[in-house]
Amino acid sequence: MIEALLFMLSIGVVCGAVLSIASKVFYVYEDPRISEIEGLTAAANCGGCGYTGCGAAAAAVVEGEAAPSVCVVAGTEAAIGIAAVMGLDPGTAEPLKSINECLGGNRADDKFTYMGIPSCRGMDALYGGKRVCSVGCIGFGDCVKACKFDAICIASNGYPEIDESKCVGCGACETACPKNIIQVKTMSERLLHFNQEDDALAPCRQTCPAEIDIPQYIRQIKNHDYAGAVNTIRERNPFLLSCGRVCPHPCEDVCRRGVEDEAVSINQLKRFAADYEMNSGQHLPISCAPDTGKRVAVIGGGPAGLSCAYFLRRLGHSVMLFDMMPRLGGMIRYGIPEYRLPKKVLEWEIDGILNLGIETRTNVKLGEDFDLSSLVAAGYDAIFLGIGAWKDYSLRIDGENLDGCYTGIDFLTTFATTQQGDGNKHIPIGCKCVVIGGGNTAIDCVRTLVRLGAEEVTIVYRRTRKEMPANRVEIEAAEHEGVKFHFLAAPNRVMGDENGKATGLEYLKMELGEPDDSGRRRPVPIEGSETVLDIDMLITAIGQGPDIAFKEKEEGRRFADLQTTRWDTIDSADPETLQTNIPYIFTCGDAATGASLVVEGIGGGRRAARSIHLYLTGQPVKPVPNSIFERNIPGTIFDSVEGIHQKPRARMPEMPVAERIKTFEEADLVLQEKDALKESERCLDCCRICYNKDAA
Amino acid sequence: MGYFELIIACIFVNNILLAQFLGNCPFLGTSKKMETAMGMSMAVIFVMVLAGAITWIVYTYILVRYDLVYLRTIAFIVVIASLVQFVEMFLKKSIPALYAGLGIFLPLITTNCAVMGACVLNVDKEYTFVQALVASFAYAVGFGLALVLFAGVRERILLARVPKPLQDTSIGLVTAGIIALAFYTFKGMV
Amino acid sequence: MPKTITQEFTKGLWEELPPFRLVLGLCPVLGVTTTMENGIGMGLATTFVLLGSNFFVSIFRNIIPAKVRIACFIIIIASFVIVVELLMQAYAYKLFLKLGVFIPLIVVNCIVLGRAEAFASKNKIPHSVADALGIGIGFTLSLGALGALREILGKGTVTVWETWMFNLSSIFPSFQPFDFMVQAPGAFVALGLMLCVLNVIGD
Repeated sequence: MIEALLFMLSIGVVCGAVLSIASKVFYVYEDPRISEIEGLTAAANCGGCGYTGCGAAAAAVVEGEAAPSVCVVAGTEAAIGIAAVMGLDPGTAEPLKSINECLGGNRADDKFTYMGIPSCRGMDALYGGKRVCSVGCIGFGDCVKACKFDAICIASNGYPEIDESKCVGCGACETACPKNIIQVKTMSERLLHFNQEDDALAPCRQTCPAEIDIPQYIRQIKNHDYAGAVNTIRERNPFLLSCGRVCPHPCEDVCRRGVEDEAVSINQLKRFAADYEMNSGQHLPISCAPDTGKRVAVIGGGPAGLSCAYFLRRLGHSVMLFDMMPRLGGMIRYGIPEYRLPKKVLEWEIDGILNLGIETRTNVKLGEDFDLSSLVAAGYDAIFLGIGAWKDYSLRIDGENLDGCYTGIDFLTTFATTQQGDGNKHIPIGCKCVVIGGGNTAIDCVRTLVRLGAEEVTIVYRRTRKEMPANRVEIEAAEHEGVKFHFLAAPNRVMGDENGKATGLEYLKMELGEPDDSGRRRPVPIEGSETVLDIDMLITAIGQGPDIAFKEKEEGRRFADLQTTRWDTIDSADPETLQTNIPYIFTCGDAATGASLVVEGIGGGRRAARSIHLYLTGQPVKPVPNSIFERNIPGTIFDSVEGIHQKPRARMPEMPVAERIKTFEEADLVLQEKDALKESERCLDCCRICYNKDAA
Repeated sequence: MGYFELIIACIFVNNILLAQFLGNCPFLGTSKKMETAMGMSMAVIFVMVLAGAITWIVYTYILVRYDLVYLRTIAFIVVIASLVQFVEMFLKKSIPALYAGLGIFLPLITTNCAVMGACVLNVDKEYTFVQALVASFAYAVGFGLALVLFAGVRERILLARVPKPLQDTSIGLVTAGIIALAFYTFKGMV
Repeated sequence: MPKTITQEFTKGLWEELPPFRLVLGLCPVLGVTTTMENGIGMGLATTFVLLGSNFFVSIFRNIIPAKVRIACFIIIIASFVIVVELLMQAYAYKLFLKLGVFIPLIVVNCIVLGRAEAFASKNKIPHSVADALGIGIGFTLSLGALGALREILGKGTVTVWETWMFNLSSIFPSFQPFDFMVQAPGAFVALGLMLCVLNVIGD
């Protein structure tokens, strides 16, 4: 017995001593996480995982080759523990979540009826996939088999569905998928993803300037998951209430149902989801990445600036927003009248964005109250210029400065400021009002004038109705509200009385000639056709550009180098990176493009946020590879779409004309829930080349 | 028995994996890829020869001499585990190239019953030291041979259509059975 | 959600039934199941070691330093293996001879070490014991079943403790035992097919 004890003791001492000396002599540094993870595995070195022992498996996890669920003995708890260890890595501090990119319709029809290998990988290797679509899901569920957390299942539509609450972001599914359909990304990566040619994108999603995942939110509305729809939209566009009201929805122009039937009312569905959130009275929580410690100055609190600030904040940067007006919102507050976008709606939306922790300074103007030198001195790491296009172009005709003559932006802004109680400048409204111009600003002016009680409101436009750049619905609404239109009329001069007050507008009649650069037929004046129109108020709204006076006013002349174009817009060498010739200054929106759509500014804001993020994290600021910026994926826009049965589109509820011309209350109303659900059923759930045919 | 017969017997007739059923866990675990299987085989050869030698010495000169044979199991496992860990540390520091090839397989070998089994078999059969060395080497070669053959077949199975209930381990075992059948024909050679 | 002791026990009988659900510890499964008796004997020996190791690991779970825990577990397990060896030499020498090298090899059985590490080192004593009993009995039954299957197909008979013998040819006189089953290749094939059958039932 004593020998046994002695023997055991001595063997223990010898082995222990040899090993402890060896561990000092042969010390090699290794990642501390490896041993931590090894501690969480079963440490049985059984090899069941396919790795050569627990240490090797742990090393593979740390290198990202193996999933946290690698240990087959230790079970789910250990997997969660390992995922937690990996989660502490600052590089992946944000939780990774898998997302299925390929979702939607019936997909391309099955190309092969092959009864062979029931595995996506095998199928992909042998036949390049079962579906016609080059990127589409093969549907054999390799991802489901790969997931150790039971977070993926093949849903009834035949495509993988991910249970986000179970997903730990281990990446096993992504590795298993031969088609890159399943992707594991952090929230930041998702926010920064821009459409690429090999993405699984429906036509509407390709066309939307903000790149919203339209089929996804319509699907969520269909499934009564309105909060989910709001979150889907908000991943790309923080202005869902505003866009839901004012967006001219280019997406609907390419809607596949629209080829054979009326397009799906995408924008009204967006508004329905957005209003659902607002009417619930509670902002849905929005998550932000951990703080990066970088500071960005955003100049301009319009849609572009707010959108850029919103995305930068969600990426973890701290943002200071400067605006020259007393309240934020820019053109969508001061340019878009109350009846199209009520101020309390806008207020609620902007509050939601600022709640993320964006600091603001209002009533400060670039070039007057602060300049580039002061921003640089304050230690901002990057600057975003979203100053919009607030300077009206002038007609350059005689008498345009007479009493009773205004410019469009000036008129709308002054009126909106007074209406909100921030100013007391009243504009006397005439009886016979004329607005010159055919754009949205002109229409906003006339509809505002109608509501302010002007007896006769006329639009004077030098081309025809067909060439008017304003939104179709807006033109129709103005017609319904009794606005008169004088087409093919070019103002020649404004006539005034002895008091310097405008009394008449002389114009020349025009006829259409050859098409010009923009594809519209150029109006040519008819000699001797001068006609005089009696007026007592004139508004010119013929276009607008950015006000770049700050370049001249600045003392330090640092901005003098900033390149601008001959239209006074700020020159971003590449419209995809939006970086100016001064590397730490970025721009987008109307300031970069000239007056354009709200949704362009919002999409640009995200694009600029991406470039700023790249710049701040020390990566080269380059355009998105294989980008489909301002173009569609070839072969995804069809001329005809089979299998569609005509179903009427949901009609937008409107306030009756007689009532709405007396008030600034919202004229367009939101869809009822049952109509929204019915409308969502009309969506064909398209992807690049596939869609759900209507059941007969 | 000559060394040649001993080698043939240990590699083919009494193949440690397919006839003695030792080391089956890593057999199924590391045979999914040919590359892993090769590395594992080399590491097993390396460790088995070392372990065979050391355990033979411990057994003959300590356990038998002091009449402590009943402590064989515990002594062997402690010696093997320490040896493997020592070799791992040594290789990691001194010969990183070899470690990259073999070292990562070493922990798996600690609980590989083939190594422990070979050592126990050596002393059970009362081999001399040289015989024990040769037998250990041959067992390890047999292990490697079976593992590599199996990995080759398994890579092909990946592309075959296997009925669902049979997938993965199940078909692996049946395949192993068929390979074992091939090895079974060596029976009676020695 | 903490499981009850009963649940810890029963999971070993189906949910985590070794070696089918938990594909580990295959060496003895393949090596000794030429007869039902061997299978059950091996199973019981493993159960004994599992019980002892789980019990002691659970007792010492808060004392053992994390860095050397695996070494400690192995020592505990090895001690119980020696106990089993000695007990079997004293009371079941014939069985001990048949099982041969596989008894000392319990020490490297992944199931035993796996349970100690994954379960007993984190759970209270009653739970650990229940877990060991469940897994052990499940293992014993699996081995017994596999042994019985191989014995009846390979030899045509099932023998229990040399006293009671069931002969298949008494029911089917034309039955010819196929030797393949009791030989090495048969072990792999039988286990593989049994796994398949259990997969079918499991679904």
